[in-house]
Amino acid sequence: MAEGLTWGLPVILYLFLAGMGAGATTVSASMLLRGGGAHGVHHEIARFGAILGPIPVIIGTGLIILELGSFQNGNYFRFLNLLLVVNLSPMNIGTWLLFLFTSTSVVYAYTYLNFLPMPFGDRVKVRRALAWANIPLGLGVAIYTGVMLGAMPSRPFWNSPILAFLFMLSALSTGTALIVFTRALVPRRGLDEEQQEVVHKSGYVLATSDATFIGFELIVVFLFLMFAYLSVGDVRYAIETILPGGPLATLFWIGVVLVGLVIPGLLELYFVIPGLLYHRKYTVSRYTELVIAAAVIFGGLVLRYVVVVAGQITGPVGL
Amino acid sequence: MGYLCGQVPGLKVEGLVTDSNSKTYLSRRKFFAATGAAATSAGTVAAAGGATDAAEDTGREIHYGMVIDARLCYGCHACTVACKAEFGVPLGENRSWVEYTEKGTFPHLSLGFLPRLCNQCSAPPCVPVCPVGATWKREEDGIVVIDPDICIGCKYCIQACPYDMRFLNVDTGSAEKCDFCIHRVSQGLEPACVEACPAGARIFGDINDPDSEISHVIAENPVTVLRPEQGTEPNIFYIGADHTDERDPRVESMYVSVTTNRRYEERR
Repeated sequence: MAEGLTWGLPVILYLFLAGMGAGATTVSASMLLRGGGAHGVHHEIARFGAILGPIPVIIGTGLIILELGSFQNGNYFRFLNLLLVVNLSPMNIGTWLLFLFTSTSVVYAYTYLNFLPMPFGDRVKVRRALAWANIPLGLGVAIYTGVMLGAMPSRPFWNSPILAFLFMLSALSTGTALIVFTRALVPRRGLDEEQQEVVHKSGYVLATSDATFIGFELIVVFLFLMFAYLSVGDVRYAIETILPGGPLATLFWIGVVLVGLVIPGLLELYFVIPGLLYHRKYTVSRYTELVIAAAVIFGGLVLRYVVVVAGQITGPVGL
Repeated sequence: MGYLCGQVPGLKVEGLVTDSNSKTYLSRRKFFAATGAAATSAGTVAAAGGATDAAEDTGREIHYGMVIDARLCYGCHACTVACKAEFGVPLGENRSWVEYTEKGTFPHLSLGFLPRLCNQCSAPPCVPVCPVGATWKREEDGIVVIDPDICIGCKYCIQACPYDMRFLNVDTGSAEKCDFCIHRVSQGLEPACVEACPAGARIFGDINDPDSEISHVIAENPVTVLRPEQGTEPNIFYIGADHTDERDPRVESMYVSVTTNRRYEERR
């Protein structure tokens, strides 16, 4: 269904990848500032998030630059016009946020690569300073994509103030899931008791965080649907594409709501509640973690797909 | 038609130019020749007569607009073809086209023709979204233009237009749309579609000049604009246009079929 759309798969992938990367770096930076020293639970999370974060953001940015009409017509550096102007277009503000965020998050990631020499400053101090910058910039990158879509009355499906908040929560959730997923790829045999403890505790922190994000995301999805459903005219007509019977309903309810939110949210709660209520130890096999994280990431991708496509196959009703 | 009063300065008594010497009637072609020459220098325009009061009211001296009398249009597509030829618009895209609206069942039925082009809005939603400032509404004549040498082809403006008037020119990689044939208008000619129309259904002119033909026509006829609820304040006015849409809740029980005569079969 993405064929023939003004914004097709590259844009959908960008919205997803930039959100996930910004989310991972934001989670990393907040973990660091909440007491991640040179080792320990928070450090473990912060390190994974910091190194992972910039990768999807850079891939996604590359995709949308390749997709630009100017680039496809041989004006390979025309996109730099974006950095010659400052205006109130959400895309312009977003470009500046993205530019700053990419710069700070790459240096931030570099400070975690201990085997590489630090050309300037103290590694830990630079890291902390950049963490303070990365939280607002990361949230900015996660939010602006939703503002960009929401800024147009000509696209009633997108023209909602809550869309940006939904994208931000999805970014944080998929960012957390990306950390969980990558952590779970590393075999845990041969770790000593203390290291095992760190792995499980950081897994617990990540699972509780992600469950919280998913909970809020479900509330926002409900509000988004409910207010559109109670509306009339353009918005009501647009929301019918994802309500039962609509062309994107199956993808939305199964892909986004069930696989992306409800199932991983309930699984995370199931594993987290013993620790949360009874202070039991959190022990989950890394295969379970892989499946949960993959479901969350898949849900985030399908969410962007459904939103971007639904916004473009609907429009103002009447003439 | 109350909402029109705010956007057609020709209808506003307090906005009238006081200098009576400049108000002699000019034929349309002569008028364009005069304004085209004057528009080459913004200073000349601003200095002309006591017109600064009117300019303050609207922000600009000249404001081009178009009236399309849908009662005269018979859907021959001469405007569509003239426009494509004028600009070498790539295959599959159009800057202007004519939509057909079939309505009702025999013997109670109608066939309406609706020529479409950029509305040159007074509040164009495509302009503020441009991240590189490649599109703007011209101060001198109110035409919404795109600079293809600045445009990066991000397609944000294409999304923002509620009339689907913009497209990406695959040959240049820039967004493109109707620009009222600036190259012709600045030489005192009429836009290609106006000149091509055999029915005389299109009237082009300065809606800021209360004595122009277009201002007379707007003043003397009930006119409508497309999708006024979008708040875009269009400057393309229709007389006798059938606004019925296939999704229109007002005619749910009636047969309505819209033929867009463009690549997109559904009206967007």
